[in-house]
Amino acid sequence: MEQKNYDVILDTLPENESRLEVLFRQAGDGFLQVEYGREQRANLQDSFRIQAINDLVLAKNLNGLIETVPGIRTNMFHFDPAALSVRKLIGEIKEVEDSLTSIEDIVVESRLISLPIAWEDSETKKAVAKYVKEVRPGAPNVINGYNLEYMALCNGISVEEIKNKVLGTEWYNSGGGFWPGGGFFWPMDPRCAIVVPKYNPPRTWTPEGAVGIGGPCIFTYTTPTGGGYQLFGRTIPTFQFSQKHPLFKDSPFLYKSADRIRFFEVTEKDILDIFEHVHNKTDYQYEIKEDQILVKDYLNFYNSEEVQKGAKEFQEKQKEATKTAPRL
Amino acid sequence: MLKILNGGIEAIVEDWPGRLGYLGKGMAPAAAMDNVALEFANLLVGNPPGEAGIEIAGGYFEAEIGADTVLSITGTDMKPTLNNQPVPVWESFEVKKGDVLKFSHFSEFGFRSYIGVAGGIDVPLYLGSKSTCIFGSYGGFKGRKLQAEDVLPFGKPYQDLKNLPGRKLKKEVIPEYSRVWNLRAIPGPNTCPDYVTEEGMDFLFSHSFKIQHSSNRSAYRIDEVKGNFFAREDGGVGGSHPSNIVDHAYAMRGCLNVCGNTPIILIADGPTLGGYINVLSIINADLWKVGQGTPSRDFIKFTMSTQEEALQARIEQKALFTEKSLA
Repeated sequence: MEQKNYDVILDTLPENESRLEVLFRQAGDGFLQVEYGREQRANLQDSFRIQAINDLVLAKNLNGLIETVPGIRTNMFHFDPAALSVRKLIGEIKEVEDSLTSIEDIVVESRLISLPIAWEDSETKKAVAKYVKEVRPGAPNVINGYNLEYMALCNGISVEEIKNKVLGTEWYNSGGGFWPGGGFFWPMDPRCAIVVPKYNPPRTWTPEGAVGIGGPCIFTYTTPTGGGYQLFGRTIPTFQFSQKHPLFKDSPFLYKSADRIRFFEVTEKDILDIFEHVHNKTDYQYEIKEDQILVKDYLNFYNSEEVQKGAKEFQEKQKEATKTAPRL
Repeated sequence: MLKILNGGIEAIVEDWPGRLGYLGKGMAPAAAMDNVALEFANLLVGNPPGEAGIEIAGGYFEAEIGADTVLSITGTDMKPTLNNQPVPVWESFEVKKGDVLKFSHFSEFGFRSYIGVAGGIDVPLYLGSKSTCIFGSYGGFKGRKLQAEDVLPFGKPYQDLKNLPGRKLKKEVIPEYSRVWNLRAIPGPNTCPDYVTEEGMDFLFSHSFKIQHSSNRSAYRIDEVKGNFFAREDGGVGGSHPSNIVDHAYAMRGCLNVCGNTPIILIADGPTLGGYINVLSIINADLWKVGQGTPSRDFIKFTMSTQEEALQARIEQKALFTEKSLA
């Protein structure tokens, strides 16, 4: 009989004033997951710290470290165990963790990308129609051929207010993944934190550029694919496989970790024109501003009475709405 | 070069270890589902480890050879023929321009077969690899599986072709195939006591799981787990089901993702991040067995491994792909 050993926490660091408890969890031979705290929580403050620690570990240029995948409450380290032992890796991360004594002084390099969005465009509408026809006839999240009304029902506000909340905050990329070029964007202003369930079962097709939300996260679809997020509009290309446009010359990806996006409203025709200027004429100018987030300033904003009061009021509405919104 | 006459069920260009370093960009490593068979195919035709070959899943692949060269076929025995005459598996052989290579279907053991070509398959590198990611439609040959009329160029042979035909592997290095694939695995990151019960983990490590028919290059689905599997009521902010979690990166390749009650081995083209728990990871040295597991027919069984054993197995496997393995 083999010895049972399901204890996968290889090491820990205690919680202190500037961080949650750190858990080093094994994830196979060649992966280490570093988890912050034991509670499933989604706070940007955690992500800022994870990003800062991540940068400091990467700056060590550890031999054998292949890549890292930071997220909102975890970071995954991918390494070659023949070149870098998991014990040594943990030691290096612990050293960095202990060197960062406060998150107040963290400055996150964070570009601000302005993205046009057309609400309820006809291309995305095709994906919704296809879903009703082929996957789930009578799907309760499809109202008037779209998901916006459903999003409103889930959050206890009007469609107009949903749009204002999407436009009214910057959305922070805690780290990418899932699908080529994919970024997971969290609302920076908690008063705009819409929350919705995901499709059940998922879609089989979504057009490039469609914008959706699942749970609290926005995703801009980079290539035609399946998907489970509630759809509400369409933006412009955020990934280019062919790398023809100058912006994508060095890599096919638009998003970097810690980027922010902010949407501004345009017509569907504008979106289609921009597609042409990105993919064919390759002369569209993306609006990207090099910028930083001063964590101290963000925390002051986040913790301010006005923001906290507004967030609480919205959460109350959401709580009531989930009692009556159709379940998926 | 090679002209495809029939792409069969699924034939694609793959190298090893694939496209590393892009998990955070949502790009899976792709690469050969059975790296051991691909690396032996490379060794037999004098290629360095990692060179691209053709991966044939299921079978029925046919191609016309466009140049005199040396090939090897490894993996499951799909009864390959050259001009309707049988050719050996796990051995290199000479081919002439105009020859026609045909495969039947997968055999009693194993599911994927590999063609190695002296010089490898010459497709452009995309983000550092020649591997095809079928689900993302990129890499390899036009980002897709091979079909009739495709013409695949060969690279320049690494060694003098004269010395290559008739190279064979020592009997003891040819991997053993089975109907029950024993996968050594390391528990984590989401295991007991906080995510899964001890009984749940015991169940994983004691049961044989049938590979479901819906398995493919990104996911191998196996039998469902039972109600007593989870140690918690729900996933909190991560979602209402106890398999839900706040989205995190997946240890791709080889982690066992639990999606609702369905355990899924994420592999090759799989997702790199998502909102489900992962309870174990297949050790790197045993990943090849997943690629030979036949959907709807074979079973897999997990055996507990330690980090040390996994590292040792990695080192030993790597040492196989040298001239010392030739008979």
